Amino acid sequence: MKQFNRILTITLLMLCIASVQAMEPLAVVVNKANPIDKLTRSELIDLFMGKYVAFPDDSKAMPVELKGEHDIKVTFYRSLVDMPLSRVNAYWSRLRFTGRKRVAVFQPNEAELIDYIIANEQAIGYVPQSLITEDLKVVYILNE
Amino acid sequence: MNKSGLVIRLAIVIIFTAIIVGLITTQLFYRFTFINEQALGEQSINQLYNTVSPTASIASYLGNDELAEEVVNGLISNDIVTSAAIKTDVLMVKSSNFLESNDILQFVLFSPFQKERKVGVLLVKPNKEYLAEKASKISATNTFVVAVEAFIITIISILVTYYVITRPILSIGKALHSIRPGTNERIDKPTSHQQSEIGQLADDVNDLLVKAEQQMLSEKRLRNEVQVLESRFRMLFENATSAIVLVEPQGDILLYNETFEKLIEKLQLPLKKNYGNYLQDIFIMKKELQEQVKIAFANNESATAELELISYLEEKIWVQVVVTPLVTDDFQENYQITLHDISKRKRQISLLDQKANYDSLTNLLNRQAAEQHLNQLTATKVPFALIMMDLNDFKPINDIFGHDAGDEILIHVASQLLKNLRKADVLSRWGGDEFVIVLPNASKEEVINVCAKLNSTLSKPHNLSQHDKSVFVTASMGVSFYPDDQVELLELIRVADKAMYQVKKDKSANNDLYLAFASDMHNSISNNKPL
Repeated sequence: MKQFNRILTITLLMLCIASVQAMEPLAVVVNKANPIDKLTRSELIDLFMGKYVAFPDDSKAMPVELKGEHDIKVTFYRSLVDMPLSRVNAYWSRLRFTGRKRVAVFQPNEAELIDYIIANEQAIGYVPQSLITEDLKVVYILNE
Repeated sequence: MNKSGLVIRLAIVIIFTAIIVGLITTQLFYRFTFINEQALGEQSINQLYNTVSPTASIASYLGNDELAEEVVNGLISNDIVTSAAIKTDVLMVKSSNFLESNDILQFVLFSPFQKERKVGVLLVKPNKEYLAEKASKISATNTFVVAVEAFIITIISILVTYYVITRPILSIGKALHSIRPGTNERIDKPTSHQQSEIGQLADDVNDLLVKAEQQMLSEKRLRNEVQVLESRFRMLFENATSAIVLVEPQGDILLYNETFEKLIEKLQLPLKKNYGNYLQDIFIMKKELQEQVKIAFANNESATAELELISYLEEKIWVQVVVTPLVTDDFQENYQITLHDISKRKRQISLLDQKANYDSLTNLLNRQAAEQHLNQLTATKVPFALIMMDLNDFKPINDIFGHDAGDEILIHVASQLLKNLRKADVLSRWGGDEFVIVLPNASKEEVINVCAKLNSTLSKPHNLSQHDKSVFVTASMGVSFYPDDQVELLELIRVADKAMYQVKKDKSANNDLYLAFASDMHNSISNNKPL
């Protein structure tokens, strides 16, 4: 069983890598008005995994997510915390029982996500590099 | 039961060994179990950590009290955990009984998303008492099991050794104990040991018993033979007509028979343990015995001697003594002395001797005996005077009064002559009315004196008892001297005889003449001139 699991994991990993390679790198972006220019990977994880709900300068932060199991979302979590989306979801489910609610905004697609970030100064989200516009500020680039 | 008996001793050894081995084993078992249980406890805590670490990590990462509490409560619900706590930069969640101490195990908690990022510490205090108690319980159970096992093995060992080894040996021993060697009794071979060493032992013991019986039987037979032989020897020894005595070289008597006892009784001597060497004290002539023994032993012979015993009786007791050296098996020299009573033979011999050497009528020495004396004297070169005497006028008395009267005269003469002679002198009846007198170491004067005395004595008249008649006889005497006159005995006699006849011849002329010396005869013959 273990062996099987391992084989499965490796296979999935290979698939992911293939998909990531197929896809262009993801960029973490904020509102242009946001004073933050750069974030560390840890700061990024803390923001997206619910440890903090504020930027390092203590201004409120609002992570923006894609709904469902969007490919970009999968790639994002794979790149950021090296976890499949299911586990990330399980993490959140677990926290929900302790009475902790996730502070995040869910958007159905990349376009709406970008629009939300442009519209909200506190917002922070991830988009493929190709979709970056003048109105967005890149604070982190997820490289494999 | 015998305290030092085989069974008790064996049981003690086995029980003692079992106790020691049991103690050591249970102790080792206890230690081992204890250590093992403690290791298991730690392992369990590690497993607990592994179980709770994802949640604990999340709790620490987020600083989430509820989650942390859940983890802590979950941990302390385990028996092996006393208290627990989760500590982060911003959070400290602990169980109510949590206290800082040395024995608290610390597990570092990492971020669930970044494996290298430390987010807190999980503190767990293991329940040492519980672990110890559990370990004790398990090891106690183990110990009990081992003890029971040891006990069972001990009992089985004792029973097995008793039934398989000790009891058969004991039964053999008991049987052997009650068996009398030399009889046809044998011990039974234990049925369960027909082929084993114990069976072999029984066989060997029986073989020994067979041998013992055979030996005893043959010894008994031999003893009987010896007894028969001994009784025969005893009979022979005790009923021997000779006294038989076994003495040691120092003279101590080892053995004597009844005859010897009787002999000593007869001699009226006290029965002693020692009569000197070779019983010499009971003999009159000890020295002769010693000499005889010395000579005989030097020639490796038995010493034989005829000796007279000391006796307070009138009757003389003579014995033939035979001393034979005997060497015993242990090389000790003893002497067998036999005393054969030869008194009777001695008496007969002396009687014969009397008959042979003495004249039966006068009891004087006869001619033969006289000659022996003379031979002895000449052999030892003792000078002597030989007087040849012949009675005158004897024939008429014999003719007139008869032989009895003649005999009476002869006896009378003999007694008269004997009266006037010394003890060393020899008087013999030479034949008929002839007498020979030998005077050892006598001078001519002495001879003259003696002859004068003899002549005057004989001249006295004698009353014939049968005839109431007084008669007297005279004698003619011729004297020769050894060795002055003759060295040869026959010649000496002849010249004395010649002198005596000369006296007879000259008597018709001179009635008082009674003595002539052979030496004078020679002169007179040569001078042709009578005395």
